[in-house]
Amino acid sequence: MELEAQLKLQAYLDGELPEAEAREMADKLAREAGSAALAAELRQTRALLEGFEEGIRLPESREFFWSKIERDIRLSEKSAASSPALPWAALLRRFLAPAMGLALVAIAGFVLARHGPTLERPGSAVIETALADPGAFTYRDDNSGTTLVWLSYPAENELADAGESADVE
Amino acid sequence: MNVKDHSSADEAALVRAAREGDMAAFEELVARNRDRVYARAYSMMRNEDEALDLSQEAWVKGWQRLKQFQGDSTFGTWITRIVINLCLDELRRQKRHRAESIEAIAEDSGGVERQMPVVTVNPTLGLEREELRKRISDALGKLSYEHRTVLVLHEFEEMEYKQIAKTMGCSIGTVMSRLFYARRKLAALLADLKKQDLT
Repeated sequence: MELEAQLKLQAYLDGELPEAEAREMADKLAREAGSAALAAELRQTRALLEGFEEGIRLPESREFFWSKIERDIRLSEKSAASSPALPWAALLRRFLAPAMGLALVAIAGFVLARHGPTLERPGSAVIETALADPGAFTYRDDNSGTTLVWLSYPAENELADAGESADVE
Repeated sequence: MNVKDHSSADEAALVRAAREGDMAAFEELVARNRDRVYARAYSMMRNEDEALDLSQEAWVKGWQRLKQFQGDSTFGTWITRIVINLCLDELRRQKRHRAESIEAIAEDSGGVERQMPVVTVNPTLGLEREELRKRISDALGKLSYEHRTVLVLHEFEEMEYKQIAKTMGCSIGTVMSRLFYARRKLAALLADLKKQDLT
């Protein structure tokens, strides 16, 4: 018998065939001894498994098994309670950092408006903004040979963190 | 502390109380269903320690997801589905960690058992129920996890082909061939044991 026919026979025994095909299969079983023998084997195997799980018992006492579950539940609740991100910290990161950046831009704009594009004087410090990136500032002091660059906006990973924290809320 | 006695409460009342945080009610649900959940885990895993760990994990998840239980099925069915999914995850994880044997590859395409002669097993002949249970258990242990799982989901969980395919992430055709192979191999293994028993 071909595999397809064998699987169809099995589907018939499992009640998975449509009514018309089930009738055809019943006729076939009545006619063909080979199909009938296979059907008998499949039925028998199924009968052997009946009630098999009913004899399996959990090998621990009710109290001991429950004590382990209770411990795990309490542990998971404890860790869930202690781990949530603080919402105000996320808000602080999200709004305060850009506000600080804006304030710095405003100060720089005010200074530039009063003193021209640069306020370089011999031996003094210079503050510059890069046109390509208005959020970046450079501080240079020729006397001490120091150059500092700072960014007024939050880093990308900080934004991502703030976004995730807000989503959790 | 005054602990309410839940031993005579019905299942729906226990679930309601557990949802409101009553752990004693949940403990009663565990006590009533723990053998069933463990038995399903054991049938799938064939290992007592793993079955214990996974059934314990299922109960913890059950507590955490109680609000998702809509009452469409019995609580026992719902919690059993949780342990089945945990077992499937674990079996898949284990499979990734071991190489597929040539035999296992043959099993998916039907193997030699598909063509073997039909065998007869008479469970009432000579074997006590407990002995027969052990032999069935050993025979189940000789099936690959894919074939055993299909058999367990069909025979014990009473799932239809379509549901099994969805649960296992395969086609209905694969479910049918795995089920057929599993049954035939089981029959062959038990027939062989029977012959040994008679000699």
